[in-house]
Amino acid sequence: MRLRRAVFLTAVAGLLAACTPPAPTDGAAGGGGATEAPAEPTAAESEAAGGASESAQLEGEPIPICVAVAQTSNVALLGQEEVIGAELAEEFFNGRGGVNGRPIDVVIQDTAGDEAGAINAFETCINATQAVGIVGPTLSQQMFAAGPVAERAGVPTLGPSTTAAGIPQIGDYIARVSAPVAVVAPNAVEVALEQDPAIENVAVAYAQNDAFASSETTTFQQAVQERGLNLATVQQFQTTDTDFTAQATNIIGVDPQLVIVSGLAADGGNLVRQLRELGYTGLIVGGNGLNTTNVFPVCGQYCDGIIIAQAYSPETEGELNAAFVEAYTSAQDRQPPQFSAQAFTGVQVFVEALTALDDEQGLAELEGDLAGLRTALNEAVLAGEYDTVLGPISFTEEGEINQEQFYVAQIEMADDGQTGQFTFVR
Amino acid sequence: MALLQAYGFLIVLMVINALLALSLYLPLMSGQLSLASPGFYAFGGYIAAILSTRVFAPADGEPYAVGLVVLEMLIAGVASGALGVLVAIPALRLSGIYLALATIAFVEILRVVSLNLPITGQAVGIFGIPQPFGSQLGYLLLAIPLFLLAVVFVARLERVRIGRAFTAIRADELAASAMGIATGPYKVLAFALGAALAGTTGALAAHFVNTWNARQGTFDASILYLAFVLIGGSRTFVGPVVGGLVLTAVPELLRGSAQVGALPAWLEGFLSGGGRLIIFGVLLAVGTVFFPQGLVTPELLARLRRGRSRPEVAVAEAQP
Repeated sequence: MRLRRAVFLTAVAGLLAACTPPAPTDGAAGGGGATEAPAEPTAAESEAAGGASESAQLEGEPIPICVAVAQTSNVALLGQEEVIGAELAEEFFNGRGGVNGRPIDVVIQDTAGDEAGAINAFETCINATQAVGIVGPTLSQQMFAAGPVAERAGVPTLGPSTTAAGIPQIGDYIARVSAPVAVVAPNAVEVALEQDPAIENVAVAYAQNDAFASSETTTFQQAVQERGLNLATVQQFQTTDTDFTAQATNIIGVDPQLVIVSGLAADGGNLVRQLRELGYTGLIVGGNGLNTTNVFPVCGQYCDGIIIAQAYSPETEGELNAAFVEAYTSAQDRQPPQFSAQAFTGVQVFVEALTALDDEQGLAELEGDLAGLRTALNEAVLAGEYDTVLGPISFTEEGEINQEQFYVAQIEMADDGQTGQFTFVR
Repeated sequence: MALLQAYGFLIVLMVINALLALSLYLPLMSGQLSLASPGFYAFGGYIAAILSTRVFAPADGEPYAVGLVVLEMLIAGVASGALGVLVAIPALRLSGIYLALATIAFVEILRVVSLNLPITGQAVGIFGIPQPFGSQLGYLLLAIPLFLLAVVFVARLERVRIGRAFTAIRADELAASAMGIATGPYKVLAFALGAALAGTTGALAAHFVNTWNARQGTFDASILYLAFVLIGGSRTFVGPVVGGLVLTAVPELLRGSAQVGALPAWLEGFLSGGGRLIIFGVLLAVGTVFFPQGLVTPELLARLRRGRSRPEVAVAEAQP
């Protein structure tokens, strides 16, 4: 017994000892030492960091940019898409010469799905990785927890999928590349009105225990009322529900021509299916939670025709998006989703802002003072204009995104009722 | 100092989780398996979040007074303790697994209520909770004293009349009542003490994580805190404390191990992604198989004590 305990404790202690990272030296803005083997920063190393991008000759220590998103927990479905987007961005921009010839190093940290995990990942990014900027976290609620940490440390942070109200207001260093739900969602209602101008009664249903769905539904309800439509009923459900007979019956009871569903893939998809099975034939608008191919197996054939607003379209014109779509489809064998595009954009904004900063003041000048570099980078991020896969974007003084183009897609199911695709109608 | 900065958040989180493990241990001292701690933790957090954003809200740009946080912790502790008594009186008519189920139901009820009340911010929760410190490390100034207080309190409790009564009830409730111990009030007291500690911790945690919502203190958390107690050891207060500290640290240190630099790339990716949680799970499983009584048992403590003062061997021999 004693021996076992000794062995177990030694194993744990060994783990702990092995885990102490090398103390980061103050002011090492390159910061590569904490993440890479601290070998000589030669061309050989930058090649290793750049991965497939051997074509460009990159020199100097890689500049660490942290991507802190959910790789585990139930939020990982979204976070994984963001990881793919960020990794593509690292490869792509290093292939294009990085920051004036210096490579970037995208360091991925797992925030898991909770608030404490987000703060832990941010602390690691800020202190151990010594990143110049952070892209993340995945959820708005996580940003409310980790955002103030980055703000106090003075590290520029870009939220890739944090769409709730109040995010850029957390502080000067907090911005986002994800357009707020209040701007995106009404586009779907407009398309529905184009398709059926005779809409009078509208029914709204939302997942009451989901932060995103419950803030999204407020926007939808406002959009409905602003357009002079009759908001006939508002139904609530839980993301864990499986039976929606009560909600579907109540909705059909008010004879709507349009139903708006804000939920996640499993519950929202089931509600749509049960609505259709009970005989509803009008239009259906889905929220961003249904904006994933994961909804296809849930509602099958009945998914057909769901209208969903998008912040990104693979069909966006421009050479950058074409390259992004090609890189994504060759690796993943499907069209890139919005989350990947937004994470890609987050990294791009940092790369271009760093380049602008380098042109203006010279990164070498700022190198000694990491805090100063972060502050200067934050100013450069907010001042710049970017031509991204989301279309042209810029930021307000507060850090809110100015995005010009929004899109609306409609689900089109194949005859087998299992596979389908998002067809862009706007 | 840089290391302390990097791990400041983690250290405070470790202390908070050790406190929550202690709050689970308190009812367990009297043999009551209660999983209600996360409920009271969430309740205390909401009290602090609402008070600090609505009642004591500081003017723009001014730091929040530390004294107010302490006041919130007191209010949350008292309110949670009172709620604990209210819940305990009916719930403690149950025992064992049925009590565990009832307390899980209590946690769920609190969660659904907070999802529906406008004052708790519904699903989005309350954000922008004012900060008394410039960095996360500052919270140690509050967490460490609270932790020491709780540890000293529980350590003393194990040695005074009330604590002995708890232990007697745990060992055999019928025999305890035959000896003249009023089992009902003692069980309620143990439950309420745990609730008060969880509520106080919640108030601190609300400031610490900057935001508070219905995702805090859910059923998942109940199971995690139970794991702290079971892996650490449930027969002495040192067990939950060690369990809370170690089990919080391990996943994060595994994350840190990905950055040592000497590891091959695939292992690095494995550790910084989901792999660290797999290793964590394996450690938990190994821990329970090899130490069914938990890592820290009274016998171990007795042996350690004996080892230190070898001449007087007879000291702790009285253990059964």
